[in-house]
Amino acid sequence: MVVVMRERATDEQVQNVIAKLIEMGFDVHRSTGALRTVLGAVGGSRQFDTALLEVLDGVQEVHRITEPYKLASRSFKSDNTVITIDDVRIGGDEVIVMAGPCSAESEEQVEASAAAVKRAGAKVLRGGAFKPRSSPYSFQGMGEEGLRILRAAADRHNLKLITEVMDLSQIELIGRYAHIFQVGARNMQNFTLLRELGKARIPVMVKRGISATIEEWLLSAEYVLAGGNPDVMLCERGIRTFETTTRNTFDISAIPVVQQLSHLPVIADPSHGTGRRDKVAPMARAAVAAGADGLIIEVHNDPDHALSDGAQSLLPSQFDRLMAELRIIAPAIGRSICLEPVARRGWGV
Amino acid sequence: MKADLEDLRKRIDLLDESLVRLLNARAACALEIGRLKREMGMPIYQPEREAEVLRHVHGHNNGPLDQDAIKRLFERIIDEARHLERIAEEVQLNAQQKKE
Repeated sequence: MVVVMRERATDEQVQNVIAKLIEMGFDVHRSTGALRTVLGAVGGSRQFDTALLEVLDGVQEVHRITEPYKLASRSFKSDNTVITIDDVRIGGDEVIVMAGPCSAESEEQVEASAAAVKRAGAKVLRGGAFKPRSSPYSFQGMGEEGLRILRAAADRHNLKLITEVMDLSQIELIGRYAHIFQVGARNMQNFTLLRELGKARIPVMVKRGISATIEEWLLSAEYVLAGGNPDVMLCERGIRTFETTTRNTFDISAIPVVQQLSHLPVIADPSHGTGRRDKVAPMARAAVAAGADGLIIEVHNDPDHALSDGAQSLLPSQFDRLMAELRIIAPAIGRSICLEPVARRGWGV
Repeated sequence: MKADLEDLRKRIDLLDESLVRLLNARAACALEIGRLKREMGMPIYQPEREAEVLRHVHGHNNGPLDQDAIKRLFERIIDEARHLERIAEEVQLNAQQKKE
């Protein structure tokens, strides 16, 4: 950490800061300049609040050099984390595609969507049974019946299932059906939930909150890791900016940034990232080109009649075309996508 | 010319040897002070004493290093002494804990 003192800070003020740093367990390297003094602080623990120093008299600014997270950081573990669920490896060379409807609405709808995404090359079925919506009057999901339908469809098509867990009370129930727990953007800082998921023995995908910084997002992953669950992946899903044309601003730069800071796999969600069906494919292509370890995409067999997020769901034919394009992009950066040959069938669109 | 350069470099090497010896002698002294401070329950960081040290060396400075340069150099020496005292304290604490 570096503490920059104000110009003409008094000796007493500098001494005060040195005393505080020593009390916090740091070794202090003092560097006195003509106008201002800079204090370098090394050692000490990660668990300190820079605000404690910023409020001291004579301090101009405090810069942290180490990240406040540990287990999630690249300096703690230099190799990429690869999460293995049977034959699916997330974080390896293959870009893993997770796809499916926003919510489970009926047995027929889930089956049609699962069959379509499997044929196109997805490895994981996505779908919600409990839907936290912005409005309390919107469709809220099918509950356990939805979980049963989703898991059955996933098993029939040899797909893994990812679904959202919204609070502590659902962990046990959802854990019986899901292969991956999804923590939604709205829950990214629900620390009691994250702590509890740290005890789970199922991988967890932590979505980035709509106004979360990358550091806050990695700290959320740290909660799960610190609880003892090493299988954590991150998901960029767009952040809130001043732009209103798209639902969110999809932060593609977060992908390489996080991959440098952390060893955890990064998944991109271009569906929520843009909120517009016609923008999903370009952003998905960009995310793969940027190095995403996976994609999570909403695909609905009849999006115009979907009970939630229809506007951002791809038609199966559009998803199929997207997968074909990704199969060309991935090798350009040394990645693969869906290795097995895919049956070509028409969807009648 | 070349011989002069060689001579001067040799002189620097000898001076550096003396510096290392002196710095270590100073560090040994600081360690002993650290031990006494702990016994008397005094804090490691004593800014008024550090200021006194700087005043003292300034009084003996005849250049060509200016007073600011001397200050910066001694600040580094003091930083390292403080570090040494802290490590010694940790070692002692650990040894005590083990005994207990």
